[in-house]
Amino acid sequence: MSDSDADRTIRPETSGLNSEDPEEPESDVTESTGETVTLRIFRYDPEVESKQDAGFDTFRIPTHEGMTILDALIEARDEQDPSLTFRHSCRQGVCGSDALFINGSQRLGCKTQVSELKEPIQIEPLPHHPVVKDLVVDMDSFYERMRAVEPYFDPDDPPPDELTERYQSRENREDVKLSTRCIWCGACTSSCTIASNEDVYLGPAAINKGYRFYADEREGEDRAEERLEILQEHDGVWRCQTQFSCTNVCPQDIPLTEHIQQIKRDATKADLRFW
Amino acid sequence: MGAPYDRGLIEDFGRFRYFSAGMWAWVLHKVTGWVLIGYLFAHIAVLSTAIPAASDPEAIAAGTDLYTRTIQGLEGIFLVRVLEVGLLAAAVFHMTNGIRLLLVDLGIGLEREAEGFYVSVAVTAVITVLSIPVFLPPEVVPW
Amino acid sequence: MTDRRSRFESGSIAWFLQRVTAVVLLFTLGFHFLWLHFVNHAAEVTLWGSALRMDRFVYFIMIVVFLVTAAYHGLNGIYNALLNHGLSGRRRTVVFWLLTIAGTVLVIQGIRIAVAMAGVIS
Ligand code: HEM
Ligand code: SF4
Ligand code: FES
Repeated sequence: MSDSDADRTIRPETSGLNSEDPEEPESDVTESTGETVTLRIFRYDPEVESKQDAGFDTFRIPTHEGMTILDALIEARDEQDPSLTFRHSCRQGVCGSDALFINGSQRLGCKTQVSELKEPIQIEPLPHHPVVKDLVVDMDSFYERMRAVEPYFDPDDPPPDELTERYQSRENREDVKLSTRCIWCGACTSSCTIASNEDVYLGPAAINKGYRFYADEREGEDRAEERLEILQEHDGVWRCQTQFSCTNVCPQDIPLTEHIQQIKRDATKADLRFW
Repeated sequence: MGAPYDRGLIEDFGRFRYFSAGMWAWVLHKVTGWVLIGYLFAHIAVLSTAIPAASDPEAIAAGTDLYTRTIQGLEGIFLVRVLEVGLLAAAVFHMTNGIRLLLVDLGIGLEREAEGFYVSVAVTAVITVLSIPVFLPPEVVPW
Repeated sequence: MTDRRSRFESGSIAWFLQRVTAVVLLFTLGFHFLWLHFVNHAAEVTLWGSALRMDRFVYFIMIVVFLVTAAYHGLNGIYNALLNHGLSGRRRTVVFWLLTIAGTVLVIQGIRIAVAMAGVIS
């Protein structure tokens, strides 16, 4: 329960369940602007007969200033329908667990203001993943692709002794800085039509992760070459069609397309060199 | 646990209303590319009439050889003229967006790729409109 | 790490050639459209007129370069689009050879036409 929950009127837990037209919520909520927002939320539950046919439920949620989509979802679950299921943890754009398909694009629930969106706000699970229940998707194929690029620091030479720190030049730090911000939310990969097929394309997040280590000079040249090889396997950078959807949706503002293009150019230069 | 829900093809193309500039550019670049390569095959097929026609100098001099008759016959059809305007539009879009893609590949102007797409569409529209009098002069319009 | 991949299988060369042919096509396709629709008009094309153009060596070479680059660029574009849709394994090999054959036939037929046109004058 969040700290502001105390102020809210507790309503019977079943009131909003699967109803297209839930009752008007109480308007005497403190901190609320007295306004409500209408959410259309995707529902699916293979274990409940009435929810085996996927569809949308409408929720009317009292809003307050600064309310995010995640706040609204928590409100809907806690006050109206306890069976509403979604993932979240940090509530501050750090854990990457609440990437959702909100009004037609991939966004983090906790980083999206309710007031910025056109109503009714349509909230769906992340596209291109099988839906487990309501807004929860199975992200295995995403994590598998992240692991495929060997996402850990792996230098050519071990440090002279175990306690020596490895310094990075300021310039090199700038090269990798933006790529290190990834929170594994999967928004980018979900937005890419080519990455919708996990066997075809690693997707932007995995390539960005590969770039993060490829561009890190401390790993050394041999490892960099190996990284380039991994990133241009048959499911690597050549599948990118510069749709820019990944760059547009990334909540961490990572210039994904730029990093992918950098890898393409470096790989081409390396292959065209015959001397 | 029951089966996970698979949302199928709707995932991509059912969502066209939400497409951003880069996505539209990708779709249009594909469509125009396929139109162009399809046309290239058709074009070579039509021009192949030149091979038998080339061995008849008298018909060539009179302008009644197979090749000349075929091309002029096709050009006499109003629908062919209209399709030519469409072909020009496809070619111009593919060229202008192709320039945008080449710049993107060189890492130039990535933050302005959306504007690049709008410019491609605008240039295509202007050139297409301006070329209508060339492809569809008053004498071929059936009304 | 698997064993060293071949340069030609990785995709970097195909990607690069797609871009190089695009630059060549920018000039050849642009010229072709201007020359046959705006300077000369398609509706007034005769075999004699085509032959006069093709008789110029520079024009002949340009048309052949146009043909070869367009065939490569267009068919490689299709191949790439199919790979992006998950074409793989045996079907991929079959499609690769079908496209290669189609491209070869297209180029040979195109060159035969150009030679026949140039042969009209003499
Ligand atoms: C006028 C100059 C041209 C330029 C600058 C150009 C540029 C490009 C570029 C950069 C791509 C790669 C897109 C990508 O993989 O992300 C492409 C794809 C393609 N081009 Fe062109 N092109 C030109 C002319 C042509 C011509 C004449 C044809 C037909 C013969 C053609 C057919 C295609 C096809 C079929 C594709 C693949 C489309 C797809 O992804 O499905 N292009 N073009
Ligand atoms: S790159 Fe951005 S959108 Fe993609 S997983 Fe990482 S944080 Fe999410
Ligand atoms: S809840 Fe952690 S990123 Fe949104």
